[in-house]
Amino acid sequence: MASVIDEDRLTETFAALANSTRRAILARLAEGEASVNELAEPFAMTLPAISKHIKVLERAGLVIRARRAQYRPCALDPAPLEEISTWAQRCRTEWESRLDRMDDYLARLAPRPGTDGHDD
Amino acid sequence: MTEDNVAHDAVVIERSFAAPVELLWRLWTEPEHFAAWYGPAGARVVVAKMDVRVGGARLVGMEVDTPGGPVRMWLVGEYREVAAHKRIVYTESLADAEGNALSLDERGMPHGHPTTTEVTVEFSDLDGRTKLVLTHVGIPADSPGAVGWAMALDKLAAHAGDQNTRQR
Repeated sequence: MASVIDEDRLTETFAALANSTRRAILARLAEGEASVNELAEPFAMTLPAISKHIKVLERAGLVIRARRAQYRPCALDPAPLEEISTWAQRCRTEWESRLDRMDDYLARLAPRPGTDGHDD
Repeated sequence: MTEDNVAHDAVVIERSFAAPVELLWRLWTEPEHFAAWYGPAGARVVVAKMDVRVGGARLVGMEVDTPGGPVRMWLVGEYREVAAHKRIVYTESLADAEGNALSLDERGMPHGHPTTTEVTVEFSDLDGRTKLVLTHVGIPADSPGAVGWAMALDKLAAHAGDQNTRQR
């Protein structure tokens, strides 16, 4: 398969998403870029605490910081989410064929009326 | 939330089978039955542990022949919910034959597999047939709220998609 996903990065993405504050930050950024101050507003948390969460998101590649302005606004980078989506597609294909086999196995256990049945 | 959104990051498959729910339940919870269909195709499935109760362990091995000889991989996990004939939830992580979960470096396969995943199977009786809804999500080992997590991610991915379209 040509589309090799960076496993460590995927794990990092999953870990970054395992926190409700970080998910809320991403949901806010999905509406447009924001400063750290703006991101901190809805939370009863210190700025350093929020910055820590943003750093985790940056490491996972989910957030990028613009360099142009002094306040360096944060923006969402959805690319890692697409990797998760690729994992999900592969996982789906696996399950589809597993359930096909389960169906075949059921048919062998108890031949259905209207089918030939299997003697094996 | 639409079905498409769900499919974006969690795998959700719904199917019905021409068999009673009791039999389907046995296919998922009895080692002999489970090994007979689980696969992948051409693989020998070894169920080393299948302790079907909340907190019970599972350890399933899959052996595939390769040109270099047989290769066996193990999946370790535990049952998180067990409601007979209704619902079963278990976790999966790649492991060694003793059931020790492998670190990232030790895992040679498959690409893009999250560290721990959670499988939920819901069974419902449709007049002798059985509807099965299977949900598979990737979760970090320390995350108890896999469902809420998957839903939040759905919204997020949908948002992100919108934003991308707007930017183009």
